[in-house]
Amino acid sequence: MVQSDSAPKLVKEWFKEKIPDELLVRFNPREIVHAHTYGGLSKFFKGLIEGALLGTKCWNCGGPEGNIWLPPRVHCPDCWCKMTWMTIDPTGAKIYSHSTTNLPGAGFKGTAPCPLISLEIPKVWTRPMSYLSKFAEDEPYIGMPVKPIFRKKIPTYTILDLAWVPVD
Amino acid sequence: MLTFGKGNLRVPKLSRPVYIVAAGMTDFRKFYPEKQTVELCLEAIRMAVMDGLGMEPKKFQEYPNFCVYSQFADHFGDQLLAAAKSHDYLGFDPIGNCEVKTGGATGGTAVLQAIKDVASGYASCVPVIGWERMDEVSTRQGNAYIASAACKDFESELGWSYTTYYGLPMQRYIHENKPLRETLAKIAQKNHHYARFSPYSQSPKDYTIEEILNSKIVSDPLTFPECCVMSTGAASVIVADEETAFRLTDKPVRVLGMGAGSHTLRTADRRNMPILLLQNETPEMYKDWAKDWPGFISFLAARFAAWQAYHMAGIHNPIRELDLLETHDAFTVSDIITYEDIGLRPYGRGAEFIESGEAYLESDLPPARKLPTNLSGGLLGSMHAVGATGIFQVAEIFWQLRNEWEKFHADEKYWKKYGKTKPKDFKNLQVLNATRGMAISHAGTGSHVTALILERGW
Repeated sequence: MVQSDSAPKLVKEWFKEKIPDELLVRFNPREIVHAHTYGGLSKFFKGLIEGALLGTKCWNCGGPEGNIWLPPRVHCPDCWCKMTWMTIDPTGAKIYSHSTTNLPGAGFKGTAPCPLISLEIPKVWTRPMSYLSKFAEDEPYIGMPVKPIFRKKIPTYTILDLAWVPVD
Repeated sequence: MLTFGKGNLRVPKLSRPVYIVAAGMTDFRKFYPEKQTVELCLEAIRMAVMDGLGMEPKKFQEYPNFCVYSQFADHFGDQLLAAAKSHDYLGFDPIGNCEVKTGGATGGTAVLQAIKDVASGYASCVPVIGWERMDEVSTRQGNAYIASAACKDFESELGWSYTTYYGLPMQRYIHENKPLRETLAKIAQKNHHYARFSPYSQSPKDYTIEEILNSKIVSDPLTFPECCVMSTGAASVIVADEETAFRLTDKPVRVLGMGAGSHTLRTADRRNMPILLLQNETPEMYKDWAKDWPGFISFLAARFAAWQAYHMAGIHNPIRELDLLETHDAFTVSDIITYEDIGLRPYGRGAEFIESGEAYLESDLPPARKLPTNLSGGLLGSMHAVGATGIFQVAEIFWQLRNEWEKFHADEKYWKKYGKTKPKDFKNLQVLNATRGMAISHAGTGSHVTALILERGW
């Protein structure tokens, strides 16, 4: 017979409710590791560690001004051609919207409350999401000027390696 | 896609008439250890067959020639190919089946899929059964599972919670359109109130506006009563061709129009484009428009789905030509945005749909001037067992159009079945002479939206 391990596995209470005696509810714990590739976007995530904010632009479809994708995409969704990587100048970046979470979901690596923000960046035609890592009492607000900071030491190799702080 | 080609704007049509003949559901709970998922599915379809069609299951089993199943996330139920278990449990083998997945709109897409199966002539009777078992994990883990349906590279890590992904558009919506904060709270008040008259509902309550606004903030500005529940439960409808429909019931409900739209999974990626106008809108209305569109605060997917459904159904004025509406009120802000996307008000003026009283059954407005919305209690008040949700909406509209709201909500037997007490101040929410209704099913921050317009088919 397969040996039972000694860890307790039966649930007695869940969502603050006692499990009725006639029911059998078992904990199924797990720890799973995925090896997730950033593929063609690896350049972006490596850029964060080096202190660079990289976007992509389709020269096939877009003109010389603006139209930069952030989050970047390797391919243009309009013509399916490969786009060109470029360093984004964050001067003039502003908060487009914000929401401070008090109750993040499991696995959140930051501390709550945490102000999540959407950004408006000159020449970028998307509104990337990020977070504000330094803020005063009446912040964030829509239109607030911000600049990026990068986690160069001990990176997470996730989008959390990029954060924003007030300009002044 | 920023500009449309002729093919993109082809109005969908069905090759033959399609009907809905029965509906059923379980009650919805935060925690449902008494029943396994397959038991919940069986209860939902058994209600449709026995209470709806008045048939013995054995007899009904002679009819289906395809089945559609609807579950949002394998993560939650922790059983891949769960549809195979339900299908087998219901004794439908060896009939073919498929399981549909389009996030929060999974239920709506499943119903549309079954309609297409019947319209094509492939099938003549298709049960659609949807469920979600969201109680195996803690609420925090549940939020993280749901946020796995945001972009894991660029969004999920930023809060692991859809409440934040709606808090961002809400803050922007308030900034641009300046609705009263109270108006948004009224949506939550209305739907929690209507949930009080449903034996199936999970979160019924009469709130004051102050209570809603002063409740704990999940992700600002959204407070707890402004966010949908996380549920376990199941719902079903049965879709059939004309011949089968009239053999099964005297009062089938006919599919009049339907549509399905999509938009970028990441809200961030929504580029500006010209507003896709509905039949009740003119370019003149937006001639001074200087804001982003669809941007952060409109759902292109909902607009596109409504555009298709209205064209197919020949609807020119939704408030006048529809009698009731079920929206995907996952958050108060998503509801007010949807009012604009589906043309109940021009963009920027969604608040008027609430403030005018048009969204309320109790309103003194004449029937042609109102469109009672989410009399089911919606996702805020009644349920959001994700894979069941779009089917639950269709079930509630189906009962209303057959004048059976009371049969399935007022009867003491359903309250007793779920161990509940019917409220002493019970209110009849049947829409008088309801002939047409619409259901909007919605995923993500608008990645998939379906619209389904049903009308009395007899």
